[in-house]
Amino acid sequence: MIGSFLDQFWSLTFGGLSLGFIYILIALGYTMVYGVLRMINFANSEIFMVGTFATIIIIRDVFKFTQTSEYATGFRLWLILATALIFAMMVSGTLSMIVEIVAYRRLRRMNSGVLAPLISAIGVSMVLAESVRILTDSRPVASPRAMEKRFIGQFFDAGIRIDNTIIVISALVLFGILMSFVNKTRMGKAIRAVSMNPNAARLMGINIDGVVSATFLVGGLMTGAAGFFYVLKYENTASNIGFELGIAAFTAAILGGIGNIKGAFFGGLALGLLETYASFFLGTQWKAVTVFIVLVLVLYTRPNGLFGEALTQTRA
Amino acid sequence: MINLRDKGAEIWENQGRVGRVVLALCGVTVVASLPFLGGTILNTPIADYESVLVYPIAMFVLMAIGLNIVIGKSGLLDLGYVAFFAIGAYTMGLLGTKTGLNTWEILPIGIAMAMFSGIILGIPALKLRGDYLAIITLGFGEIVRIVALNLGALGRSEGILNIPTPPAIFGIEYTFDSHRIYYWTLLVLILLAIWMVRRLSARRAGRAWESIRQDEDAAELLGVPTFRYKIWAFVLGASVGGAAGVFYASKTLFIAPDNFTLQISILILACVVFGGMGNIWGVILGAVILGYLPDRIRFISDARLLVFGLVLVIMMNLRPDGLLPRKKREKTIDKKDAT
Amino acid sequence: MSSSLIQLKNVSMKFGGVTALSDVSFDVKEKEILGLIGPNGAGKTTVFNVITGVYQITSGEIIFEGKSLSGIKRYEITRRGVARTFQSIRLWGDMTALENVITATDTHKKSGLVLGLFGFPVSRREEKRDKARAQELLDFVGIGEYSDRLAKNLPYGVQRRLEIARAMGAEPKLLLLDEPAAGFNPAEKVDLAATIRKIRDAGYTVLLIEHDMSLVMKVSDRVVVLDFGQKIADDSPGKVQDDPRVIEAYLGVPENAS
Repeated sequence: MIGSFLDQFWSLTFGGLSLGFIYILIALGYTMVYGVLRMINFANSEIFMVGTFATIIIIRDVFKFTQTSEYATGFRLWLILATALIFAMMVSGTLSMIVEIVAYRRLRRMNSGVLAPLISAIGVSMVLAESVRILTDSRPVASPRAMEKRFIGQFFDAGIRIDNTIIVISALVLFGILMSFVNKTRMGKAIRAVSMNPNAARLMGINIDGVVSATFLVGGLMTGAAGFFYVLKYENTASNIGFELGIAAFTAAILGGIGNIKGAFFGGLALGLLETYASFFLGTQWKAVTVFIVLVLVLYTRPNGLFGEALTQTRA
Repeated sequence: MINLRDKGAEIWENQGRVGRVVLALCGVTVVASLPFLGGTILNTPIADYESVLVYPIAMFVLMAIGLNIVIGKSGLLDLGYVAFFAIGAYTMGLLGTKTGLNTWEILPIGIAMAMFSGIILGIPALKLRGDYLAIITLGFGEIVRIVALNLGALGRSEGILNIPTPPAIFGIEYTFDSHRIYYWTLLVLILLAIWMVRRLSARRAGRAWESIRQDEDAAELLGVPTFRYKIWAFVLGASVGGAAGVFYASKTLFIAPDNFTLQISILILACVVFGGMGNIWGVILGAVILGYLPDRIRFISDARLLVFGLVLVIMMNLRPDGLLPRKKREKTIDKKDAT
Repeated sequence: MSSSLIQLKNVSMKFGGVTALSDVSFDVKEKEILGLIGPNGAGKTTVFNVITGVYQITSGEIIFEGKSLSGIKRYEITRRGVARTFQSIRLWGDMTALENVITATDTHKKSGLVLGLFGFPVSRREEKRDKARAQELLDFVGIGEYSDRLAKNLPYGVQRRLEIARAMGAEPKLLLLDEPAAGFNPAEKVDLAATIRKIRDAGYTVLLIEHDMSLVMKVSDRVVVLDFGQKIADDSPGKVQDDPRVIEAYLGVPENAS
């Protein structure tokens, strides 16, 4: 077993990495909102799900791909991929802002604590998942393959597949853009200020509603991009897909230290790799259990996650 | 908005001992006679009305009371409550089919198993910050289901078949289609659970939980052993879930991992928050409504969960403290307020 | 001279690179009111936090009644006889004033889950006694009439006093008061000073953090001054007031004054 693991190590690693980057992008939707609101963005999983459908709409309905179409190449391929990515991001980003207004805004103004918004967000999730389920007749939807999934290189014995490469590179670029947005722009700094100390930020004249909206938008954009990458990699989706990916990404966010953007990055990578290796050794059915046990162990030794800030400190 | 909760509390407090007993008896009688109202407006269009009373309604009420100890009383966000329900149910399934024990003998074992797993989960989980507890419990709920799905001894996805019904007790016979009998038995369990919760919350434990919920650090610094009380809340909540599980398995005669999905945890949580966290009557009302609603509106068949989601969003926005909020025991407004 | 109730021996507290307390030593004698003063950020509240176990000290030792407090759980420290109030009021807002105090009096009792469940007469009698005791404490700090009101709805001054009554509910030997007069008007401060003395006369030892100099100087038997995490004075109120180092700490270093 160890021998065949070593044989497949790099190909497993590449698969795990691209899965990890998908997790990172979804985890950003959780971690950024958590940073600003100290609330679990429960509907983020469905925002991801909608992103996968937005991608398929572009590939299947706008560019008229079918299961038997020839692969696109050259400029047309890049146009399709870019359109699908941007469309998925915009749909998810907009939806995320709407979710904030519907599920959180009023309750936030009433200072209603953490649980009431959680339940209303659960309500929004149900509405989204159920609407899509009804529209798709409860069936999974396959995405036509627009791109030939060829190997573009070799690393030790493992072939490097083009879709995994695209995912890793574009996710890195998106993450880089996000980091510079958060660190360099006015709005990004405002977001950081609110996550550090909402009251002080308000006193400094920061428009909290604007910051919260922007946070949901950015989180939604990243989560939508994850939807695109997911379809690129797995070529199918379903109305109930958000749930599993959402939990995994949320776990990734916690593993890294929730509220912390870098934490989401390393948490996502760690989780993607861990899941892939664990599936290899124990079978896919036990991967969730492995992940959970690792999570408990990590939190037990590092209560704020791997990169978490010290929120536990008593404010006395 | 009318404050139903205070109205109710007022009527109750203005009664003497006799009045209260009469009121309580009336209430129990009305609730116990619900199975006879199947022909009325209450009827559920597709599912059998009396079986809906047992599951989901009565079962949800029982679980919501249990979860309310955890979330409503001590403020611990448990997203995997279904785990204890599942542990109770699988204890019943396994022991009921493999040993000669009957439901009544298994009930305490199932409760003990649920409590034990509550301790096992609680010791690491309750040391963590509140938000992490949510994901740990959620993961635990999923793991119990995954284990059931993958262990041969637990029947994998086929689950466990032919679980025995409870044997006759006090001359009452349980057959699989005598929904009323199950309903009344559940009612007894519910009353027991209400008694337990009311008893505990009136005194020291209730105050300790309350202080932990409102400000855990302050509680600890004023001498409340917070960890111990959190474990207690967790374990008591688990015991109620376990009891519900044992009885559920013995009612449906067949259990499978699909009966114990995260959706159940979320639904029970919704019952608690929707009804009014921390207030046992609100929680019960919430569970009755959310258990009943999807079956009542089945005529819009496919969209019923969608409507359910909408109801959650709208209700939480209108009444964030739930239908019957936690008590606000301000009896009279003091005139010395001006100072 | 009576003996020390609590001793801080060379206590240091570091957060990452920041030193909040550096080599601080002082003691509080039994039945004494010790004022703890210093400019903002001097480390006064940190002293409370290390005594009550919120922070584990980096080095040094804290001895309470002859036993070290290091590594002891927070609620155990309270049980041994140390209770505090909070500078930013941290009452349990959804409980009544009386319940706030009773919850603290439960400190020395068993968890009472089983007893509570079956309502044994013992527990019922105890409950009654606790209530009476809590009411006494509310009366003692002068807010007895508010016992049935939810803490969050109480006027500010009453909340401050309730903080004190709640801490006393835990039956401490050492009472730590963190700026109990913050936000009070002069008349209220006079009142509070009387209450603090009354608390001492009732047999408690008081360690008091307070910004209002005249209040501290009036009620304290002795004053410890902290500046930048270091003890710079420890003497009677009169002598501390004239100490050049203390004046400097409060008014700033002369060279920078120009």
